[in-house]
Amino acid sequence: MPRPIVLYCKYVDYVSEKVGRLAMYSVFLMIATLTVNAFTRNIINYPISWGVELAQFTLAAYYFLGGPYSMQLGDHVRMDLIYDRCSDLLKAKIDLFTSFFLVFYLVVLLIGSISSTAYAIQYDQRKFSEWNPSMIPIKLIMVFGIVLMILQSFSIFFKDLAKVQGKEINIK
Amino acid sequence: MSNELVAILMFTSMLMMLLTGQRVFAAIGFVATTAALLLYGNGAIEMPFIAAFKLFNWYPLMTLPMFVYMGYMMSESKIADDLYDMFHVWFGGMPGGLAVGTIGLMVVISAMNGLSVAGMAIGASIALPEMLKRGYDKVMITGVVQAGSSLGILVPPSVVLVLYGMIARQPVGRLWLAGAIPGLMMAGLFIAYIVIRCKLQPELGPVVAKEERDMPLSEKLKLLRAGLIPFFIFFAMTGLFIMGITSLVESSAVGATGATIAALVKGRLNKHVMEETLRKTLGISCMFLWIILAALAFGAIFDGIGAVKAIESLFITNWDLSPWEVLIMMQLSYIVMGMFLDDTAMLVIVAPLYVPLIISLGFDPIWYGVLYTITCQIAYMTPPFGYNLFLMRAMAPKEITIIDIYRSIIPFVLVMTFGLMLVIIFPEIALWLPNYVYDK
Repeated sequence: MPRPIVLYCKYVDYVSEKVGRLAMYSVFLMIATLTVNAFTRNIINYPISWGVELAQFTLAAYYFLGGPYSMQLGDHVRMDLIYDRCSDLLKAKIDLFTSFFLVFYLVVLLIGSISSTAYAIQYDQRKFSEWNPSMIPIKLIMVFGIVLMILQSFSIFFKDLAKVQGKEINIK
Repeated sequence: MSNELVAILMFTSMLMMLLTGQRVFAAIGFVATTAALLLYGNGAIEMPFIAAFKLFNWYPLMTLPMFVYMGYMMSESKIADDLYDMFHVWFGGMPGGLAVGTIGLMVVISAMNGLSVAGMAIGASIALPEMLKRGYDKVMITGVVQAGSSLGILVPPSVVLVLYGMIARQPVGRLWLAGAIPGLMMAGLFIAYIVIRCKLQPELGPVVAKEERDMPLSEKLKLLRAGLIPFFIFFAMTGLFIMGITSLVESSAVGATGATIAALVKGRLNKHVMEETLRKTLGISCMFLWIILAALAFGAIFDGIGAVKAIESLFITNWDLSPWEVLIMMQLSYIVMGMFLDDTAMLVIVAPLYVPLIISLGFDPIWYGVLYTITCQIAYMTPPFGYNLFLMRAMAPKEITIIDIYRSIIPFVLVMTFGLMLVIIFPEIALWLPNYVYDK
């Protein structure tokens, strides 16, 4: 593989991992927000109106930002009826073809997310509630997550390609 | 092209896509986006992304990462090991007793968790090796762990019932309570099966040596203390929720906090446990949430082409089925489809098609939620595509082969089908408890 591609895989994997690990810890934010909310409402009678909403935003960020890292780790389930019986090499070959479907879906998601974010920025879209937070930050996070997901898909594609050519890319 | 044809084409292409072995979310997402663009043109390009906001508004799904977190916290920190010891000593003396104890263990774990992952992990890592060492039949015990852990989605709390509650717009509290007795009944049926089987073929589950479980009664009673943690977590989570003190999402957060505290108190919370728990939680949650995201886009198209009406006219006008026949057709179709398609996706795609029809036919949606969950349990366990089989393969000790796993589930699927029929014939099994608690 040409050096720029190896570097590409290296950097994309690095960024996915860092972003994914950041998302990984955000589960604490969800747990803490909701537990604190349960306490304050019942014990000191002080309901936090934005608690659930904050957790909602966190959940969205959690799986959009965690998606690329979990894909890198191979956590996304596949239907393995036939696939599982193939050799690693054949799996890489099949993936080279089928990754087109993955990227196609992600690109359509990306187009949708960009136009949705543009709308939110243009009209200063807010979530209709007491807290009334802006929708712009979460949409930007989602766009970023999808972009990273696409970059990660290409990184996996290149690694599969290298494997098929008999020269695996060694990142670590 | 007629709408029926579109629906059939979408299903077959999803099946073909899944067979390629591409990631499930990508396969479903691709079919959904292609169909949207072909049917509605460029105007539909935002459709797949809009699903993210439907998911956003389904905020009870927040319970998913928290339940996964709890499950891994319990299995990684090994706070459930003591629990296994308790069942081991108390039940080891009877033929097949360890298998019976494992079902008991699974019920307790199910009461602390809303998915089957935790039970599966604990069963495969603790109970299976112990039983193998004592000469238990590997096919039987593989089935025991799979069937037992599948109770995770039936015994409250349950993530599947949360998802169903959102789709059918039914209160989750009632649904959870409705799952409780059928869950215990199912566990009872599994135990009955194990006991009878081991009576007939004692070599399948030999009695544990006396020396090993011989201890003073005071020691034996001490072991029961292991049950305190599960009780505490069950109360903090499901108890407070049913009593109306915490909301659904809060209760799952309180449960996650409870599991973390329990691990801390037991001195089992270290860096390694935390890292494994968090990373696996991220992996499993992202996998499920991305599948749901893609399946929601798929479902939106079904909505657009009026698939609910199409199914209704197919079942009622064309085939002239009675309400009961419709119900049975639905469960059968679900099991058949569940074999070939991803079960989580099926839940999101098929439930919205069936539930309105069930309600219009006059069936109780709470009761149907329980039928649905049991059907899910069966679908999750039936090859070729059963999510539990997939997990089991990843977690089971090396000497257990895929063939063993496939063979092991047969008797338990039959037992579960029998249980499903009981709940269909006697709806009170599911409905008595929620009615008693909420309508007294």
